[in-house]
Amino acid sequence: MNPIIQQVGRDQSLLAVARARRSICLTALLFLSIAPLANTEALSEADVKNLLARIRENRITQADFQEQRVIRLMKKPIVNSGKVWFQPPNKFRREVKGNSPSLTVSDGQQLWIYYPSFKSAERYSLGKRSPLDSVIASINSALNLENVENTFKITATRTGNGYELELTPRTAAMKRAFQKLDLRINDKLQAERTDMLQPNGDRIVTVYTNQKHAPVPPSTFDFTPPPGTDVSTPLGR
Amino acid sequence: MRISDLIARIVTQRRAYVWLGVSAGAIVCLIIFVSRISLDSDVLNMLPDKFSSLQGLKIYDRAFEQTRELTFALHCQPDEVDKLEEFAPIFAEHLRKQPWAERVLAGSPMQTPDGIRDLQSIAVPLLLNLNPPAFEETISIVQPEKLRERFHRFREQIEAGSPRAQFELEFDPLGLIGPALKPFAESNRIEEEQPLASSDRTMRVFLVVTNQPSISAFECQRVMRQVNAFCAHARDGWEGGPLDVLVTGRSAYVAEISLSMRHDIIATVIGSVVLVGIIFFAGFGRWMPLLGMGFSLLLSCLAALALGLLIFGRLNMVTVGFCAILVGLGVDFAILIFGRYQQARTDSESHPQAISTAIQKLGRAVFFGALTTAVGFLALILSGSIGFSQLGVLIAIGILFAGLFMCTILFLFVREGQPPARHDWIFEAVKKYVAWSVRRPAPILILATVILSGLTVFGFSPKPPLPFDASTRSLQPKKSRAADALAAIMSNMPLRWEPVLVIVRAPDMQRLRDDWEKISAHWSELQVAGKIKTFSTPAALASSPRSIQHNRERLRAIDFQGVRRTLNETLDAEGFSSDSFSSAYKLLDDLQSVADPNAPLPNWRDKLPKSSSWWFLVDRYFAQDPLLTVGFVTSNEPIKTHAQYVALSRELPVPTVPMILSGWSYTLANLLPWAQRQLLIVTSAMAVFEGLLLAVLYRDWRLWAIQEITLIFGISAMLATMKLFNLPLNLLNVLAFRLVIAIGVDYGIYVLFAWQKARAIEHDIAGVVKPVLLAGLTALAGFGSLVLAKNPSLSSLGVACAIGIFWNLVATIFFTLPAAAAARPKAWREE
Repeated sequence: MNPIIQQVGRDQSLLAVARARRSICLTALLFLSIAPLANTEALSEADVKNLLARIRENRITQADFQEQRVIRLMKKPIVNSGKVWFQPPNKFRREVKGNSPSLTVSDGQQLWIYYPSFKSAERYSLGKRSPLDSVIASINSALNLENVENTFKITATRTGNGYELELTPRTAAMKRAFQKLDLRINDKLQAERTDMLQPNGDRIVTVYTNQKHAPVPPSTFDFTPPPGTDVSTPLGR
Repeated sequence: MRISDLIARIVTQRRAYVWLGVSAGAIVCLIIFVSRISLDSDVLNMLPDKFSSLQGLKIYDRAFEQTRELTFALHCQPDEVDKLEEFAPIFAEHLRKQPWAERVLAGSPMQTPDGIRDLQSIAVPLLLNLNPPAFEETISIVQPEKLRERFHRFREQIEAGSPRAQFELEFDPLGLIGPALKPFAESNRIEEEQPLASSDRTMRVFLVVTNQPSISAFECQRVMRQVNAFCAHARDGWEGGPLDVLVTGRSAYVAEISLSMRHDIIATVIGSVVLVGIIFFAGFGRWMPLLGMGFSLLLSCLAALALGLLIFGRLNMVTVGFCAILVGLGVDFAILIFGRYQQARTDSESHPQAISTAIQKLGRAVFFGALTTAVGFLALILSGSIGFSQLGVLIAIGILFAGLFMCTILFLFVREGQPPARHDWIFEAVKKYVAWSVRRPAPILILATVILSGLTVFGFSPKPPLPFDASTRSLQPKKSRAADALAAIMSNMPLRWEPVLVIVRAPDMQRLRDDWEKISAHWSELQVAGKIKTFSTPAALASSPRSIQHNRERLRAIDFQGVRRTLNETLDAEGFSSDSFSSAYKLLDDLQSVADPNAPLPNWRDKLPKSSSWWFLVDRYFAQDPLLTVGFVTSNEPIKTHAQYVALSRELPVPTVPMILSGWSYTLANLLPWAQRQLLIVTSAMAVFEGLLLAVLYRDWRLWAIQEITLIFGISAMLATMKLFNLPLNLLNVLAFRLVIAIGVDYGIYVLFAWQKARAIEHDIAGVVKPVLLAGLTALAGFGSLVLAKNPSLSSLGVACAIGIFWNLVATIFFTLPAAAAARPKAWREE
C-alpha cells in the first residue's frame, strides 16, 4: 500500500478516534452540565421561608468544624479545626485545637478570645455598636439562621439532597463584615459548609461535621480568664 | 413770663416754627441713625466685660473653629435602626456636597480607610514629636530581635484567630505608628465622650464645619437658610417611616436669636402701642393726642438712638428692648400732662391757658420723674456690661427727651376747637374713691398696710427662696429649634455636662508644649485626688522643636538598610506576603529621609489633608493661630454654684502658666455674685439716692417716709409675687428692680406733689390719680407686651416689671394717698 495512502488512512482513523473522543467528552460534559441542572432548583420566596423555619426547628447546638482562612497578609491559607457549641440567640463557644489553639466564648454581651499558648485574652463588648457585632451576627446567622430575613437578601437552590443558600448583607454594618455568605445545608437540614467572602478579599471556608442538637449546659458560655492571663480590651470598654 | 406760658404760647401761636424745628431735629437724627447704624448681636456683650471667664468665652467664640460647627442628627423609629444604618452614609455624602460644608464627620475616623490613611500620613512627624524617652522606647522596636519576635507572635495569634493581631498588622506592621499616634488616642474622646450614635441606634449624629467667613448674625442667617433648604430634602433616599432631621450649633442659635430679636422688636412695639392706645382712648376718648404721644415717643427713641450711636459707635441688639421700656415710661408723662390739660379745659380754661396750667402744675413732677428714672437707669453703667451700659444711657437720654417732648410737641396734636368730654366715668369713679379715702383714710390705710406688710414679710423672708436661674437656658429663645434639637440629642446620648475651658496662649511652640505638660501633670494629680472627673489637653499634639531635633539625631544612628533586610527575611520566614506590607517599607523610607539633617523639620499639621476628619479633633484644641489652645476639664458635677467656680478657680491653675478659665456654665457661676450685687447693692444705692432726692424735693419727713414705705411695699410685694408664681430671677431681669423703683418714685412724686399743692382736694387729687392710674395701666401694658418676646430674658424682664409696676400702683393708690391724708389732715380741713 502506498505509504501516503497508509498515512492518510492512519490519519483518518486517528481523526475518527479523536472525533469519537470529542463526542464522548461533549456527551460527558453535557451530562455533567445537565445533571446539576436537573438537580438544581431555585426556591421561591415562600419556599425559602419554609426552609428557614424548618432549619430553625432543627437547630444544631454543637458540631465539629474545619476552617480554612485565606488572608491576604499570609502567603498560604490557615487551616484550623475544632468544636463549636451554640445556643440561640447569640451565645456560642468555639474551641480551636492544633498548634495555635484558641478559645472564643460569647455570652451575648461580651466576647472573649483566649490564647492558651500566650496566656493572653482579648475581651470585646458587644451590642454597643462594636465593630464585632456584625461579625458575631454573621457567625450566628450561619449557625442558626436567626433573623436572617431582615439582615440578608437570601437566594436558595435545592441541590441534590440539600440546599445552597446565598446570603448577601442588606445593612451597611453587615456589609463591612462580609460581602457574601454561601451556606450549604445537608439533607438533615443542618449547616454543612459556610463560605464567607470579606470586603478586603479574605475568605473563610468552614466545614461542619458531627452536628448535634443536644442541650448544652449554660456554663459552656461562661468564661473566666485563668489566673495570670494578660487581658486586653482592643476596642475599649 | 413763666416758662409754662412761654411754651403754651409757642406751641399754639408758632406751630409752623415748632414743626420746622421738630422736622429738622428728626432729619438730623435720621441721618445719624442711617449713616452710623451698627448692631452687635453678641449676647456676651450684655454681660460685664471685666470677668476673664467672659473674655475667655469671647476668645473661644472668635478664634476656634468649633464655633462654626453644626451638629446634625437623624432620629428614626426603633424598628428602623438598620435602615438608618443604611441611610447614614447617603446623608453624609449629601452633606459633603453642600456648598456651605467644609468638613463632615459621620463616624469615628478610625473606622474609615481615609481616616486610617490620614493617620498613617502624619505618623512620622508625630513620632518625632514624642518625648525623647518615649521615642527611644518606640524606635527600639526596629532592632532585629524585636522585629522577629513581633512578627512571630503576630503570626501565631493570627493563626489562633485574633482579630486584634490582624488589625495591628494591617494598620501598624512595625509597631511605630501606634505609639506615635498615642497623643491622638489620648485626645480623641469623640467616640467615648461624644459618641456619634445613640446606644439604641435610633439616632446618628454628624458634625459639619461650615465655611462661613464669620459668625455674625447676618452670616449665620444666610448659612442657616441654606441649611434649612438642605434639611427640607435631607430625607431623599430614606425609605422608612418618620425621620427627624435635627440641627443645632452656634450658627443655628445665632440665626434664631437674631431673627427672634427682629420678631421681638415688632411684636413688643406693636403690642405695647396697641395696648397703650386702647387704655389711652378708654381714659380720654381722643385719638389725636394718642397720635401725638406716639410721635413724641418715636422722636424720643430716635433721638436716643442717634445720640447712643454717637456715644458708643455700635449698639447691642438686646438694647432694642429699650424701645418698649421707653414707651412704657414715656406714656406716663403724656397721660399726666394731657390729663391735667383736659381737666383745665373742663374747668373752662382756654386752650393756651390749659396747656400752661398742665405744664405749670405737672411740669416739675414730670421733670423730676424723668430725672430720677434717668439716674436710675444711668446706674446701669456701674454694671460693667457694655450692653447694659448702653441700655441705661439710651433709656436715660430717651426718658429726658420724652419728658421734654410731652410738655411741648404733644400739644401740637391737641386741637383748640376740640371740646373736653362731657362725662368721664373714670374720673368720676376716681373722684369718689379719692373723696372716700381722704375723708376716712384709716380703714383703707389699715387694710392696705396689713396686706402689703404681709407681702413684705413673705417677700423678704429667706424661705421660700426666690430662685435664681443662672443657666444658659435663661438667655436663649423660649421656642428654639436649635435648643430643641440639642435637647433631643442630649436625651439620646450618654449623660455629660459642659466642661471648663482652659485657654492657654504661648509665645512659641516649645513653650506651649512645656506649659501643657505642666498643666497635664497637675490635672492628673487632681484627677487622682478626685477633685476633677476627667480632662483632655493638647499637650501631646503641641509640637516640640526640641524633641523633634533630638529624635532626628537619634534616627541617624539607625541602619535602615539592615532593618529592611531583617523585615524581608522575617516576613518570608513567618509566611507573610511581602506585598501586604508596603506601608511598613514606606514608613522606613520616610524615617530615613527625615533623619537627613538638611531636611526641614516635619510638621504634622502640614501633612494632614485639609479634608481629613481628624481636623475635628485638632480643632477642638487649636485655634486658627496654633499658639492659641484650649484644654477641657470635666468637673465631678455640673457647675451650678459660685462655690464650684471658686473651687475650680483655685485648683485648676498652674502658677507659672498664664491661662484663662472659661465655659458657659463656669462663666455664669462666676457672674452669680455680680448679678446678686446688681440686685442688692446697686438697687439699694439707687434707692438711697432717690431717697435723698425725695427728701430734698418734699422737705417734709412725713411725706418722705410715706414715699419710702410705699417703695418698700411695692418691691417686697413684687418679690412675694415672684415667689408665689415661682418666677425665677435671671441675669437680665434683675434690672427690673431699679426700673420699678424709678417708676414707683414717679407715681409717688405725682400724687404727693399734688397733695402738697392741692386746694380743691377732690378735684385736684382726682385730676392726678386718674392719670397715675392710666399711666400705671399703660406701663403695665407696655411691659406686659414684652411677654410676647421670644427672648426669655426680655420677656422675663417685662413680666417682672409688670408685676412691680402693678404693686407700686396699688401701693400708691391704696397706701400713699390715704397715708398722706392721714399724715397731713390739715389740707383736707383747709378745703
